[in-house]
Amino acid sequence: MDILVYGTINSIILALMSLGFTLVYSISRLPNFAHGALYIATGYTVWMLLNSLELSYPLAILIGILGTAASGALIYRFALIRVRGMEISEVIASYAIGLAIIEGLRWGGLRGSTFTLPSFMSGSITFFDVSIDYQRLIIMVTGFAVFVMLYLFTRFTKTGLAFRGIAQDERASMMLGIDSDFTAILSLAIGSGLAGLSAVILLPLGNIVVETGYNVLIFSIAVSIIGGLGSWSGVVVASFIIGFAQILTEVFLSSHYQMVVALLAIIVTLLIKPSGIMGKQKELEERV
Amino acid sequence: MNNKIIKSFLRIFILFSVALLFVMCKSAKTEIVIGSPLATAFLYGWDAEKGIKLAVEEINTAGGVSVGGKKIPFKVEVIDTRDLEMNVPVNDALMGMEKLILEKKADFIVGGPIRSEAALAAMDLLSKHKKISILTTGALTPAYTKKVSENYDKYKYCFRITSHVGVMANEFMMLFEDIKKGHGFNNVYIMVQDVEHARKGGEYMKKLLTDKGWNVIDTKIYPTGASDFSVGLNDAKNKGANILFLWMDMPESSILLKQWSGMKLKALPMGFVNAAEQPGFWKATEGKGEFLLVNLVNGGNAPSNITPWTMKFVEAYKKKYGLEPEGYGTSSSYMAIYTLKAAIEKAGSLDTDAVIKELENIDLMGVYGKISFDKKSHQVISSLDPEKGAVTSIIQWQKGKRVQIFPPKTAEGKVLLPPWM
Repeated sequence: MDILVYGTINSIILALMSLGFTLVYSISRLPNFAHGALYIATGYTVWMLLNSLELSYPLAILIGILGTAASGALIYRFALIRVRGMEISEVIASYAIGLAIIEGLRWGGLRGSTFTLPSFMSGSITFFDVSIDYQRLIIMVTGFAVFVMLYLFTRFTKTGLAFRGIAQDERASMMLGIDSDFTAILSLAIGSGLAGLSAVILLPLGNIVVETGYNVLIFSIAVSIIGGLGSWSGVVVASFIIGFAQILTEVFLSSHYQMVVALLAIIVTLLIKPSGIMGKQKELEERV
Repeated sequence: MNNKIIKSFLRIFILFSVALLFVMCKSAKTEIVIGSPLATAFLYGWDAEKGIKLAVEEINTAGGVSVGGKKIPFKVEVIDTRDLEMNVPVNDALMGMEKLILEKKADFIVGGPIRSEAALAAMDLLSKHKKISILTTGALTPAYTKKVSENYDKYKYCFRITSHVGVMANEFMMLFEDIKKGHGFNNVYIMVQDVEHARKGGEYMKKLLTDKGWNVIDTKIYPTGASDFSVGLNDAKNKGANILFLWMDMPESSILLKQWSGMKLKALPMGFVNAAEQPGFWKATEGKGEFLLVNLVNGGNAPSNITPWTMKFVEAYKKKYGLEPEGYGTSSSYMAIYTLKAAIEKAGSLDTDAVIKELENIDLMGVYGKISFDKKSHQVISSLDPEKGAVTSIIQWQKGKRVQIFPPKTAEGKVLLPPWM
């Protein structure tokens, strides 16, 4: 039972971490390598708002997420827009921005293991003899809610439909009056906002350390490659594959092979289906 | 004619004298440079840096180090080796240390490298440059001083003023036996981090526990950066563990304690847990780390009354930095500077061989007991009695405070169990 419960929680955590990265790529074809940095920067922002400015927790969270969303939009507007279309330059530019954020946080003295965000609710329940804390239950509910809301947003709102249009065929969408750059700015803002949201609900489980930024980026890339770059449903499938594989590895093999499992999954996916489980990109080339 | 010769001679003499004076001034030692290779973004790095700088400030305020009748101040040069960061190669730490020696002209090395692998690799560099080094933080492997005893002539420059895994494990065993007597516990579940010192520490503890008749249920090894320990904790719960033995230096270990508390696991957590050493741990875990027993490696890294100097050091640290000494590396780094000062003063020079000889003969009552080194291995001599050697410190988090509970001679409280046990 604990495999089922913690496998599900682990999978939802991975999905939440990677969703913003995949959303940005699926809409604007931009690999946002600053994703992990934005994630951890949100954690520190909320911590500072709570502890230095002594704002209320909900307000600090709201400002943190909106601030990260605005940062994502600004990153596109002032940096990535200049290299758009040049794939290697996009990777280098976004990674450089991420590196600057992470190392900037470290340089600014945000180091050590005493930066933490409070849990939304303390305590735990026992479910079929498996103890689960309330924060993890909140993560499960939030993860489910985020996916439902994104589904509704992309199907029943004008902006969401524009997102899908750009994702499917950018030129055709532009002919119909959809502004590609504006959509990209919005996608970066929403993708970064999702990184921020995942940070504020996941970080209360532990503490805020700058190195987490790199881990989040690695897992986001792993999930996106396995699921299929740009595929939202792929994110869910890949998260569950990696999430359960990690838990099964811990139970039946050893916990220190967890990262190996994630990397092995990438290699196997690239060998068998380079476009990923649900990926459409390159599918035709693969068939040929 | 004669006047002309005398004048020329005088000119040459004055010129020569000025040049000689310039050379003499240039070569006269105006400061003793301490090079400190430390991973400054991590607790064991920044607290060591603070300890070193506090001691240097105190010594310099008092006039400096007396070398052959002349007072010379210390100067500290710190370099960030980043050797505790994931994926940073050992070579980076070595390059940092070489920079301290060649560019910063360090006379002595005090501090790291911190990661055992880097510290061991650095020994050859110290030998090559004939630089005395006092290892004060990180590296807990017994191999460090074993290398000195096996090849003294090559590695005689390396000293270690902190404890090591061998000593710590034996002291943990004494505590285990006390707990067994007091509470009848017999089942241990080991959780360690996937790094050299932790794996070795876990293996060694397993052997010692098994030899003493304890039932070691399982050993889980977690990769650095692991953020979920629920499966292991549930396993420990299902298999009836009484004690959770931890050996981790990653910040994420505080997650483990939060999960332990959330589950109300009936197993007392104890071990070497980096995240739980700092005074901020209580707030960071919202008090969920209460009852955790932590080894701070050396006394004085938390308030206690081991020697008269201990609280003097704690108060000076609080006054300068606004908080209590934070963890492993603080008191030992502070004491390394005072030990070096005493050795230089006794040697009366900065000559490497003379200072090595005086370090080998040092006998100084310090912050965590008597400081003296084993002449063959250059390892600080440990003891359970501060009058006889350097004492370790095992504390338990009780009501927001780090209470010294081991060794018995310096204990200021008893081991408490969580209410759900």
